[in-house]
Amino acid sequence: MKNNDTKAEPIKEELKENIQKIKQDLGGSDDIIIREITFGKDDSAHAAIIYTDGLADKKLITDFILDSQTQKSYAEELDREADRDNLLEALKALALNLGDNKEIADFRSLYNAILSGETVLLLEGYSVGIAASTRGWKDRSVSEPVAQSVVRGPQEGFTETLRTNTSMIRRKIKDPNLWLETMQIGKVTKTDVAIMYIKGIVSDKVVEEVRARLDRIDIDGVLESGYIEELIQDEAFSPFPTINNTERPDNVAAELLEGRVAILVDGTPFVLIVPTLFISFFQTAEDYYQRADISTLLRFIRFISLFIAMVGPALYIAITTFHQELLPTQLLISLAAQREGVPFPAFIEALMMEVTFEVLREAGIRMPRPIGQAVSIVGTLVIGQAAVEAGIVSASMVIVVSITAISSFVITGYSMAISVRMIRFVIMGLAAAFGIFGIVVALIALVMHLCSLRSFGVPYMSPFAPFVPADHKDTIFRLPHWAMSTRPRLINQRNVNREQTSKPTKPADRNNQGRR
Amino acid sequence: MIRMLSMLLCLSLFFMLLAGCWSRRELDELGISVGIGIDKAGKGYKVTTQVVSPGEIAAAKPSGNRAPVTVYEATGETVIEAIRKITTMSSRPIYLAHLRVLVIGEALAREGIHKPLDHFSRDHEVRTDYFVIVAKGTTASNVLKILTPIEKIPANNLYLSLDTSQKEWAPAATVTLDELISDIVSDGKNPALSAVKVVDKQIGQTQKNIEIIKPPGHLRFSGIAVFRDDKLIGFLNEKESKGYNYVTDNVKNTVGSMACPNGEKIAVEIMKSKTKVKAKMSNGNPRIEIKVSMEDNIGEVECQIDITKRETIAELEKIAERRVHDNIMNTVKKVQRDLKVDIFGFGEAMRMENPAAWNQLKQNWNERFSDLDVFVTADVKIRRIGTVANSFHKEGEE
Repeated sequence: MKNNDTKAEPIKEELKENIQKIKQDLGGSDDIIIREITFGKDDSAHAAIIYTDGLADKKLITDFILDSQTQKSYAEELDREADRDNLLEALKALALNLGDNKEIADFRSLYNAILSGETVLLLEGYSVGIAASTRGWKDRSVSEPVAQSVVRGPQEGFTETLRTNTSMIRRKIKDPNLWLETMQIGKVTKTDVAIMYIKGIVSDKVVEEVRARLDRIDIDGVLESGYIEELIQDEAFSPFPTINNTERPDNVAAELLEGRVAILVDGTPFVLIVPTLFISFFQTAEDYYQRADISTLLRFIRFISLFIAMVGPALYIAITTFHQELLPTQLLISLAAQREGVPFPAFIEALMMEVTFEVLREAGIRMPRPIGQAVSIVGTLVIGQAAVEAGIVSASMVIVVSITAISSFVITGYSMAISVRMIRFVIMGLAAAFGIFGIVVALIALVMHLCSLRSFGVPYMSPFAPFVPADHKDTIFRLPHWAMSTRPRLINQRNVNREQTSKPTKPADRNNQGRR
Repeated sequence: MIRMLSMLLCLSLFFMLLAGCWSRRELDELGISVGIGIDKAGKGYKVTTQVVSPGEIAAAKPSGNRAPVTVYEATGETVIEAIRKITTMSSRPIYLAHLRVLVIGEALAREGIHKPLDHFSRDHEVRTDYFVIVAKGTTASNVLKILTPIEKIPANNLYLSLDTSQKEWAPAATVTLDELISDIVSDGKNPALSAVKVVDKQIGQTQKNIEIIKPPGHLRFSGIAVFRDDKLIGFLNEKESKGYNYVTDNVKNTVGSMACPNGEKIAVEIMKSKTKVKAKMSNGNPRIEIKVSMEDNIGEVECQIDITKRETIAELEKIAERRVHDNIMNTVKKVQRDLKVDIFGFGEAMRMENPAAWNQLKQNWNERFSDLDVFVTADVKIRRIGTVANSFHKEGEE
């Protein structure tokens, strides 16, 4: 803290002293380049150019800063200006032919500028410097989103650079009402965080709330939007995510149009979206690009998958250990035959297989990519065959665990899929102890908890609870675009009309037209 | 917050440890009983149970030299005692929720079945959706010891064969326990159960039986066993059983043959049959009206008639109506004359239509039943004649 304060001290007039201080403060780091140059009449003007190697675009620096001061024509012009004792203004107006530059007066903003890729020009005899925007570093080019791929729809995903990301959203929404606010969060990392919303559609209260929560953050570093998510979410202790994230610009654009706020964090392609509803985790961008009927069907499949992923193994345990009378006789006999000789109770068996699967899944993610193949081979052999043939687990248990695993991948929101995975184990335990009774109690508790959640003031379970009939056009069902005329009601209450396109009609009968 | 969370955790641990796993049973700890038989044994009962050996039935590679089911027998003063006694022989407790058939030995049936059935209606584990049948001329124990082909589980064979023959041939009665009990309790209807016969029980009990292409030992349903209250008093033959099913509206699909106008045979398939029984009081006497309406297809033609003609069909319909009428009348007459118990539920019909009269009649209903006036009207419609018109064989052409 103390160190920070000293850096806020103003820039001195003596160039030498300034350079000395910069070197000392930055510990003489090698990637900080300080070039002292002289120019003007009789080389009378002394100046220093300071930038960070790798963060500033060297080509820009040579083309517009170094060149302009060394070229003859400029030199003469500068000389005239220098006579008027206004060298700094002259440099700003003429020499630094760059889109964006600003004056800086203290060391704190000087360091900030240098370390975010700007180039600072200090002049002998002036206690202000010029920071020219020369940001330009190696970054990943726009590529396909890895976590949220679609068959039909844009194939671009966000990158790690904030500016690229905001531009991708701008390209989708060319409206002056798309507003952007940037702030720096993180005492040490000073990460740029931007919030984006469409003025007029968004609820101002939500924007204020977002601003307030972001201002409250006091942390040394923000390396990913997950930091922000945890620091601003409504419910600290809940397995369910109340903030959604996406790496698809089209997703963000769609959410902005529904009146939500996007929080972009520099350094990560994952953009946060608030407020988030439970239902958001079961909708994908592609739902709106495919025809309405197939989208609806796919949503049904996702809900069924949610159910299987959550209670699949639990139901198997409960039915086979407590409620055998529920099974058809043939099925009971065939299940009993498979369990013949299996040494563990069904719960232990299920737990073993689930843990094995989770381990395999984790290994598959963390493994160096070339070895990834090995994991799947070992996994298939270990889980699929050997365990059954050795008589340690029953074949039906393998089926249950695999269908559960596959179902959990169907849930589109990854963060929701993770919470479902966690809850699954709890419900399995209850099923093993209390049977279907335990499962039902767990589900009731879950529903109660879900209904108590809010995301930035909006009930998490809306439009189910509270029930909003109009919003059901885009929850379990996805009606055609011409039918979804209003925006979600609880997200914003002002500008609710989305569109007024009428339902497409067949062209009039040719014969009738002729008669008319 | 932390305090509350740890409290909750402790509480849930208590719940888990104190109440958890109550009555938990793994699948491989169950002796899944699919058939149970009750016979008389001295003062008590002999209970025979057919328990599935899952490994032999559903495993990918059954060993083949072990029987798919095992039969345990035990005697006890009461049925439940006998069932529990089985654990002295069986490694697993008998699990009755998946019972398919309950077989009652003839000797016990003649003495009365309400006492041994009490356990089955009382126990929470036993469902009421299995068929109750009577072993005709033998013991229940013998019925459950016959190995059957195709269906590895003999009890399942009994269940399915009864169910299919009821649906396709209609000489059997598929009576579940709850139906049986309500029939025993009812004043206006006496129970009737399917009867099963054992053929060649010596070979039937060995694995050899199912190695032979035509297994010599097998089980066959033959007619219906008639009860007065809960005591067996006689049997109906196949034809009468069918008549019984017409009256009780249990015919789903069956086949009947009849004489052509010129004497030879023609068979019709009954596709739909609906029976309405009406009970009326006329001049102080109860009177039963049975109305049967059926839809038939022609199934087999052996005589020389032109079934493409409308008149022929109308004539055949007349013959079929007469046949059904006669069949029902014969059955009713025989039951009235020989058995003298109302198994058709005429009393039930009277109770529903005229409760006041029923209250008077029910005291000596079985006596009244014997000289009830029963009227049968049949309405047969022949809908389809099959994929060919007249029989392909023309007489005199050879």
